[in-house]
Amino acid sequence: MELYEAMVIISPELEKDGHEEVINGLSATITKNEGTVSTILDWRKRRLAYEIDKKYLEGHYYLVYFSGKGTIIPEIEHYFRVTDTVVRYMVVRTDEQEFEAAAKKAAGEAAAAEKAAAEEAAPKEEAAGDAASVETVETAEPAATPETGEPVEGQDQEEKSKEPESAPEQAEEEKPAGE
Amino acid sequence: MRRDRGRKPKKKICSYCVEKIDNVDYKQYEKLKRFVTERGKVLPRRISGNCAKHQRQLTRAIKKARIMALLPFSME
Repeated sequence: MELYEAMVIISPELEKDGHEEVINGLSATITKNEGTVSTILDWRKRRLAYEIDKKYLEGHYYLVYFSGKGTIIPEIEHYFRVTDTVVRYMVVRTDEQEFEAAAKKAAGEAAAAEKAAAEEAAPKEEAAGDAASVETVETAEPAATPETGEPVEGQDQEEKSKEPESAPEQAEEEKPAGE
Repeated sequence: MRRDRGRKPKKKICSYCVEKIDNVDYKQYEKLKRFVTERGKVLPRRISGNCAKHQRQLTRAIKKARIMALLPFSME
């Protein structure tokens, strides 16, 4: 049994039901071929770095973590090829670290969604009275996100701010080498 | 004799070694962006300062990210 990660870009024109259909179909293909789906991450709609098939400028990304024998891969690739709504796919080997990180992230997202739903449902006065319980949830969450190793918005911004510092330096140092 | 007009080449350090990352992840494309030129080419080690191990991983990660349209193949 090997660990795999499949990244799929699904057509952005599709409704949410359509996405689920594709993902469910993928899960079914995996289970049918003696594999087990571990985590499904929704990367949401993203802008593509370049146009695909002269019509897609954005796509809905999904990450599916699963384990199975190597013979499962041709079956999965066949499924992707026959599904027209799949814009692009890639299946790569991963390790346990990635698996756990993904599972953690999925759990974090589920908790966040639950929290948001609970906050929406509960009237504001009640939330104020329950301040203690709300606080514990909030502190638990930021601690969980950096551990996942997934691209987190906060981290990206940090990196961006570092960039301008090092960029001019690099350009300067290139010159002597070229002479 | 050095001809770099008295400027010492600054010692570069591999940012992946500093952060103690074992495997360069193609999914962290925001981070990979730092290692490509504005045209989308992979920055050479001479400039990025990465160690050989991480530079190899980085190159493959960038190529994977390009396939999944996370990074551009080329930019005009």
